[in-house]
Amino acid sequence: MHSFGYRANALLTFAVTILALMCAMASVSDNFNSPSPTSKVQVLNINWFQKQPNGNDEVSMTLNISADLQSLFTWNTKQVFVFLAAEYETPKNALNQISLWDGIIPSKEHAKFWIHTSNKYRFIDQGSNLRGKEFNLTLHWHVMPKTGKMFADKIVMSGYRLPQEYR
Amino acid sequence: MFQISSLPSIRALAMVLRKSRSLSIQRSKLKPMDWKGQKLAEELMQILLLVFAVVGFVTGYVTGSFQMMVLVFAGGVVLTTLVTVPNWPFFNRNPLKWLDPIEAEKHPKPQPQPLNSKKKFSKK
Repeated sequence: MHSFGYRANALLTFAVTILALMCAMASVSDNFNSPSPTSKVQVLNINWFQKQPNGNDEVSMTLNISADLQSLFTWNTKQVFVFLAAEYETPKNALNQISLWDGIIPSKEHAKFWIHTSNKYRFIDQGSNLRGKEFNLTLHWHVMPKTGKMFADKIVMSGYRLPQEYR
Repeated sequence: MFQISSLPSIRALAMVLRKSRSLSIQRSKLKPMDWKGQKLAEELMQILLLVFAVVGFVTGYVTGSFQMMVLVFAGGVVLTTLVTVPNWPFFNRNPLKWLDPIEAEKHPKPQPQPLNSKKKFSKK
């Protein structure tokens, strides 16, 4: 501590160490938040439902997605990535997950929303199993904090049964 | 033409430079810290940083703003730097009292034995 440089160095290293500690504590404080998000998705219409020339089923539909994810946000939250997946079982795969819509929520003010949209990404089955198939709609989200580890969770919502015939 | 006209301005610049140098020499006459001053500076640095860290964390948590925490802490670091890094006079309140050179000469140091030179000589 006998010269300008030594003191500046000691101060800077100590300050950075403390800053790392503060970030760790901020990350720990996220665990005291117990979120209670809600969400509701309605399938309003099957726009079309057909078999592609290569034999895979494809559906287009109109969805009404509403969700309240405000409780996911804490002071240490940078953004939340959210996506809606259709999940169902086929003889070939125990679990098929098809992302129908996704979004990035940048702040708490935007975390309560509803959106009326057709599926953003194509709903194509790996095969021809969709006629009369019942699938679950699941809202997944990944919470991206400013410091610390990411959290992921989901809400499984009541499903929908596709029609028996192509249209 | 150009050279002649630019000469006086260069001279003026040199004057200014010389003046500023003498000023900085006067400034650096702040004496370095004594032993107690160094201890005080280190303790003060650690305490101030910890206090600002706690204050920043609490403020950030209460206001729900991560940015607030970082800003409060950054302000604290700047303030602590200003307080503890320069050689302020209050870090030099117990200066070491060195003996005068005359007093030191009255008690001459024992001369070191010329062992090394002998060894070198014998090697050759």
